[in-house]
Amino acid sequence: MKGPARLEVQDLVVSFGGLRAVDTVSMTVDPGEIVGLIGSNGSGKTTLLDVVSGLVPALSGAALVDGEDLADYLPEERAAIGVVRSFQECRLFPELSVEDTLLLTEDARKTTDVLSATMQLPWARRVEKAKRRAVDGVIASFGLERFRYHQTRQLSTGTRRVVDLASIVLAHPRLLLLDEPTAGIAQREAEAFVPLLRRLQEVTGATILIVEHDVPLVFDLCSTVVVMQTGRLVASGPPEVVKRDQRALDAYLGASEEALRASGPLSDQDQAPGRAGP
Amino acid sequence: MSVPPSILLEGAILGLNYGLLAVGLVLIYRTSRVLNFAQGQLGVVAAVFFVKCYYDFGLDYWFALFLALGLAAAAGALSELLLRRLFGRPRVTVMVATIGLSQVLFLFTVLPFIRPKQLFRAFPVPIHWTFQVGSFLFPPADVLSLIVAPVVVVALAAFIGLSRWGLAMRATADNAESARLSGVWVRRTSTVAWTIAGVLSAVTAVLASPGQTGVLTQVLSPGLLLLALLAAILGAMVSLPVAFAAGIGVGVVQEVLLWNITNPSSGSATVELILFALLQLALLVRATSLQKGSRTFERSSWAMGTASFRLHVDGLRKKVGNSGVGAAFGIAALLPFVIGVGHSYLMSQVCIYAVIALSLTVLTGWAGQVSLGQFGLVAVGTDLAAHLGASVPLPLLLPAAGIATALVSVVVGLTALRIRGLYLAVSTLGFAFFMQTSVLATPCWTVPLLHRQVCTGLPNPQSTLISRPSLFGLSLSSEQAFAWFSLGVLVLSVLMVRTWRDCGIARRFIAVRDNEVAAAATGIHVVRTKLLAFALSGFVAGYAGVCLAFWLERFSTDTFDPTVSILVVSMVVIGGIDSISGALLGALYLVGIPAIFGTTTTTEFLTSGVGLLAFILYLPGGMAELMHRLGDLATGVTKAARGRWGGPEADEGCGEDPVAVPLTGALP
Repeated sequence: MKGPARLEVQDLVVSFGGLRAVDTVSMTVDPGEIVGLIGSNGSGKTTLLDVVSGLVPALSGAALVDGEDLADYLPEERAAIGVVRSFQECRLFPELSVEDTLLLTEDARKTTDVLSATMQLPWARRVEKAKRRAVDGVIASFGLERFRYHQTRQLSTGTRRVVDLASIVLAHPRLLLLDEPTAGIAQREAEAFVPLLRRLQEVTGATILIVEHDVPLVFDLCSTVVVMQTGRLVASGPPEVVKRDQRALDAYLGASEEALRASGPLSDQDQAPGRAGP
Repeated sequence: MSVPPSILLEGAILGLNYGLLAVGLVLIYRTSRVLNFAQGQLGVVAAVFFVKCYYDFGLDYWFALFLALGLAAAAGALSELLLRRLFGRPRVTVMVATIGLSQVLFLFTVLPFIRPKQLFRAFPVPIHWTFQVGSFLFPPADVLSLIVAPVVVVALAAFIGLSRWGLAMRATADNAESARLSGVWVRRTSTVAWTIAGVLSAVTAVLASPGQTGVLTQVLSPGLLLLALLAAILGAMVSLPVAFAAGIGVGVVQEVLLWNITNPSSGSATVELILFALLQLALLVRATSLQKGSRTFERSSWAMGTASFRLHVDGLRKKVGNSGVGAAFGIAALLPFVIGVGHSYLMSQVCIYAVIALSLTVLTGWAGQVSLGQFGLVAVGTDLAAHLGASVPLPLLLPAAGIATALVSVVVGLTALRIRGLYLAVSTLGFAFFMQTSVLATPCWTVPLLHRQVCTGLPNPQSTLISRPSLFGLSLSSEQAFAWFSLGVLVLSVLMVRTWRDCGIARRFIAVRDNEVAAAATGIHVVRTKLLAFALSGFVAGYAGVCLAFWLERFSTDTFDPTVSILVVSMVVIGGIDSISGALLGALYLVGIPAIFGTTTTTEFLTSGVGLLAFILYLPGGMAELMHRLGDLATGVTKAARGRWGGPEADEGCGEDPVAVPLTGALP
């Protein structure tokens, strides 16, 4: 299996207790596309990602990758078919060094059995060397050399995000699920993320589904934007269309038009009808 | 077959003790989220002091009791003050610290102004009432228990339910930080809870002591504590009434089982088996409610926040370190030439214990699973050696025992998939008891349905004798030869565990320990990785068990007392839980120091108890961290000697965030 994957979500329902976190959502992400998922807090965006990556079971409906239902795959098995995700809090593994964190991604792809690793058999050594070469390459290209032996808990959130992206590159994703990659980092750094994420897509060639609160970033980056509100999908389409969609504005943008203006100035025609100033 | 009421009542009276202890455990757990392994020992100190006051000082019963309860209250409060600085740490760390605390408290019972002149005197009872049920006469002590225990529990329940301290305790338990912000004195509340728990424990000990036959200092033994834990867990560690009632229930079940058993020799083994099954069942059933909501903290495994796992060092520092380790092993290899037979015996002990400690480094240090039952696994290896030692050659027996023990360990590990952190520790402690009192103590048993006899226990539980084999034609019967053999096993083990550390196995363990969800999302099989940790740890413990068998030559079920398992945990914690050298240093410290001052329970508890508390409180990296600093120092000296004392090194710590860097660098 090579190349970007296609993600289909069909009538997905997830409920926690009585609460419907995701309520009959259907959407399609075409291969190679970057799709942004926005919505206010608690609208079910992260839950949707959790279902696709296998951390939360669906009540009904399905998530399909390349037409195959993932219901029976464990999270770790989904990683093996190229479904890779990042986490909002980006905790990674506090006690592992940056090098070990990256090697871990390689471990998942090329497992050596315990016996040959213990006996230091030639092929086990060869595999370990290959892993280190791959990691060395990524460390160099992400400029992480200085941090190679630092434990993850010693790093700032921004650096941890870079480590996370580096391990994403190593994981060779076909479908990449990013959960608020700019959460907890400074505005200046967040702006640097747009070209970085574009580059990431070029390099990995993966389909990307990104959950993000930074609306200008999403509109800048994504070819399709999906808006969710209280578990339901309220609008989807190209950024220009969603920007003018009344329901989308009510669901999300209306509340934070100020924020929208703050980092990306809206031109007059971009503003929502009925909301424009006098 | 109806059970006579006297048996039920006797069980209930026995259960009152479990219930009282369980209530104390729940009380402390509710306020400070600590599983207090010192709960029994707090009261024992008071009970011993009570006997001292009553007999040696000739004080009135009630005045002596008042002094003893005061001592227990003070001990409880002081314990809280001592452990307070740990309350922000992972719960298992605090739990191990309370083990250290209980060992230190034990030391108080040997102090001259607390220890009575005679330990075997009848424990005083203030009343003389007796009553009869059927043909059974209940002594005054039982009457006292029946009156006092319910009164104490009702009073305590009223205090917690009605007073403002009770409300503060409940608030603290749910969310200490919020409680603090709403004006609750969290620290004072916690001190009050520990003080009450101390008094409660003293009451338990005073009530339980008259019925005991053994030494007074053993009155609330770990076995009893385990049953109290069972009751507390049945109450989900929250409910005082349920825990108390469950304690009584456990007592009744135990008595009824004992009464039902016709064969006295294998009978107690069956009772232990059923109690062990009950404990596992309680843990599994209660696992969800024990581990939800605000209790995510307990799920956390052992993470010390130390940096001793695979430190990166420059070339010269590595050389200094390697030459230090090389020199130590070189000297050790030459030692048997110089030292006598006794010391060679001791050296073998250090080496074998170091190997056992290594098995815990893998399981607890890396995989974060705290096991208080590691000696239960060692026992599997020893048991195999007892059965096969004479027929199977040693080079085959070692790996075979390793593999067999690895399988047992995986079975133990299966519970770890559901039970975590603190409760896994309880579960494994239960396993250690089960191995000692049930499996090893029963030489042969009949498989139900198949009607075939299997012999899995020690051939002679009281004293099994085996003779040392020869290795490749060389006899190991002399102590010197055996010391070399043990050192060889240790060196091979160190090399093997080092390979696991450096070739990706340890980093998988640590990843799953630190962040299970992220590890799974990365593609690491969580279940497989956890079970692998148990398997590898069991493998090491298994062949260490074979070595232990041949080292001892004569052993009994007492060799595998669960307190030894706890001693091994102390070993790795004191040495440095996640480093290989830590396991070695810990074994050297805990076997070596008592050997210098004479191996008694007192010196053993002194070294391990004080060591545990000191290292957990002040140097969580353990002795390995000390050695590492020593190595740094030696490197500095070497550098200076070579005249390479260059300018200040580049500051790596607080550089700029590299977020912008990847844009300039070429991605692969």
